Amino acid sequence: MTTALVVIVLVCLAYLLFTTVVYVTLTVIGAFESFVRRHESWSADYETLGMSRFTIPVSIVVPAFNEERVIAATTRSMLDLDYPEHEVIVVNDGSSDGTLAALIEAFDLEPYQTFVRRVFPHNEVRAMYRSTAHPNLVVVDKVNGGKADALNAALNVARYRYVCGVDADTWFDRKALLKGMRLVVQDPARVIGVTSHMTTARKPEEAMAPPQGRRRIDLHPLMAYQHLDFLRAFFNNRTAWSRGNYMLCSPGAFAIWRRDVLEEVGGYSQTFTCEDIEVTFRIHEKYLREGRDYQILCLTDNVATTEGPDTVGKLVSQRERWQRVIAETVWHYRRMWFNRRYKSVGLVGAPFYLLTEVLAPAFEVLGLVALIGAIALGLFQPLTFVAMVAAVAFVNAALTASAIYFEDMQSRTYRKRDLLVLLLYAPLDFVVYRPIILWARLKGSWGFLRGDKSWNKFDRNVRAPA
Amino acid sequence: MDALALRVAVAVLAVALLTWLLLSLTVLLGRLRYDRQRERPRSSALDARSAERLVRRVRSRPRTEWGRWRRVTALQRLERAHHPAVPQLIRLVLHDPHARVASAAVRTLGDIGDDWAIDILIDALRRGQGSRSRIAAELEELAPAPGQRLVPLLRDWNPAVRFWGATLLRPYPDLGEATLIELTWDPDPNVRAAVVETLGTRSGKAVGTALLARLDDTEWFVRVHAARAAGHVLGVEAAPTITRLLAEERWWVRAAAKDALRGMGSEAVPALLAMLGHDDLFARNGAAEVLQDIGFVDFLVLDNPRSPLLERIYAAGGERYRDAAEARVDAIAHEEARVA
Repeated sequence: MTTALVVIVLVCLAYLLFTTVVYVTLTVIGAFESFVRRHESWSADYETLGMSRFTIPVSIVVPAFNEERVIAATTRSMLDLDYPEHEVIVVNDGSSDGTLAALIEAFDLEPYQTFVRRVFPHNEVRAMYRSTAHPNLVVVDKVNGGKADALNAALNVARYRYVCGVDADTWFDRKALLKGMRLVVQDPARVIGVTSHMTTARKPEEAMAPPQGRRRIDLHPLMAYQHLDFLRAFFNNRTAWSRGNYMLCSPGAFAIWRRDVLEEVGGYSQTFTCEDIEVTFRIHEKYLREGRDYQILCLTDNVATTEGPDTVGKLVSQRERWQRVIAETVWHYRRMWFNRRYKSVGLVGAPFYLLTEVLAPAFEVLGLVALIGAIALGLFQPLTFVAMVAAVAFVNAALTASAIYFEDMQSRTYRKRDLLVLLLYAPLDFVVYRPIILWARLKGSWGFLRGDKSWNKFDRNVRAPA
Repeated sequence: MDALALRVAVAVLAVALLTWLLLSLTVLLGRLRYDRQRERPRSSALDARSAERLVRRVRSRPRTEWGRWRRVTALQRLERAHHPAVPQLIRLVLHDPHARVASAAVRTLGDIGDDWAIDILIDALRRGQGSRSRIAAELEELAPAPGQRLVPLLRDWNPAVRFWGATLLRPYPDLGEATLIELTWDPDPNVRAAVVETLGTRSGKAVGTALLARLDDTEWFVRVHAARAAGHVLGVEAAPTITRLLAEERWWVRAAAKDALRGMGSEAVPALLAMLGHDDLFARNGAAEVLQDIGFVDFLVLDNPRSPLLERIYAAGGERYRDAAEARVDAIAHEEARVA
């Protein structure tokens, strides 16, 4: 018994050491990538790009289900983007609330029949609307079929060569598309997908409103920890993945794709809980199998703020779904694991997901139980346990501080006071926020094993009436 | 084992704590410094030593990407300070094998915008130093405009250069017309597409004839540009030919034909009505859609809702088309009643 416990503790400590080394390595690579992207961004001529007819037009596609509180405002933020030519296609995916009515009222919509392509499969379209005030806005009203289904419907309507999938609860920086498209414009043959850094807040419209250098971070502890989570995900991980050509998740809140690429892979899949990570895996799989030269990039510019859950229950529900879809996707593409044919995706990216995302909850719980057992049996002193927790908490805090550093170097967006609070929150992340995420991940893993595919959309955060 | 674990944990804790503290201080002090610098009026002047250091950095041949970007930053600082060596240094950076670094130099050239900068930009366009679309964007924003200096690009051996030459001539309606018309028969379809797009902003019989010929181009994307261009140059005269494209297999060509016909407004109605009985479903749908978009259907619903012509259009458009038209007209009637 004692020997078994010791072995388990040692395995879990080895896992902890391995993941720490991986994260530190990714942070170092991410630091280099951030440096390059920052300099590239400085030398980008957004003014010329914003006026040039050579800037490639983009169709923004917005699936919306029960978003009546936010849809008019977020659609307006998309219409107001600084970009020479773009259209916004909002798909009302059979909402049971007043989403469609809110759009009709806000944008003077009129029903028009448009005969579109039928390239991507989706549920029946009930009606299409155009705005008398905004010629570049199209609204599609269709029978509910889920987010992937709504995105496919929008892809059929899209007129331009690039599409940008966004979430209906996301507010954008006015230059978001310019920032996202600047590298595409230079090399459209190779750059087939782009995503960029974004953050989260209870009321994203307020977070995005003040000018650069004065933007507030939502310092409600739950929101601040989610903010830190996003920073770490983008600056310590995704930028490094982007550098190594294994960017395996273009998040649905801001994902630019070349439309013909989506057409080649058959559009968004409706057989997974969530569409974004799966489509990224599928594109990598196809392009690498066929030996094609391509890039899917993650940029460091802060392009948007998305609405984050403001209660623990909502957060658990959201993260449980994320864990489930990661497990579904990584398992579905298991042929890529450690497969040289899939280059860095097969040798680094997919195994990274497997070891640090899919298996993490199992190791974390096992480690915790084994350590407690070891203390109970007198193999470890409680002081050792405390020292270990403190060590992990501060390793985590150091990684978080590096993410804050890279973000601030890139954008200089937030107030100094908010940066200070974030830095102080960082060491507590491991004991305050991580347990919630661990619980969500355990639930998600269990849901995956049970074959659960539900979305668990969280209720919108309460706002004062406009 | 406990003692070892404790020692390792404490050591890791000490290193991590120190790193967290150092990084936190770096964030806060860095930000304070940045904010203070922003408050001060920004001076682009360089002292001799700094200038010399930056010139050395630009002249160096960095092997790492890090070094390359430091080189670009040095060039930009020298350009802001109007250093006399900039024209020579910019050529060096343009030769960087890394396309994105060369593109950064292109931006600097665009900022300068002097006569000599135009020549370098055109030369870079020929040689493919940096992204050609980026060079083109800078050339188009420049004052003085490069105009006449773009015409020789149309005769370049490289199709990519001819493509950009044709594209960039769009704002100059008096330049290179004969060559452009000749290039509508270029062996490279991208060149033909660019030429057709540029000719679409011009006028005249020769231009119109050249565009009509491209409506039957073997490449679908040339037909896309030709449809829009012919509609613009020839107007209703091209309508019967363009309506043929409504039956095209490619969606992009059909969409371009619809755009061109919409642009003609009510003058396109006879040509569109002729398509309502076409064998091809796309053609019938497309004609009905354009009739709806130019307001012809709403006019008929309001003026004569029992018109057989309206029934023919509905038959071509389908049930949802009819529902949409009736809903639009109901909304108009409702609005009029409200105003009254």
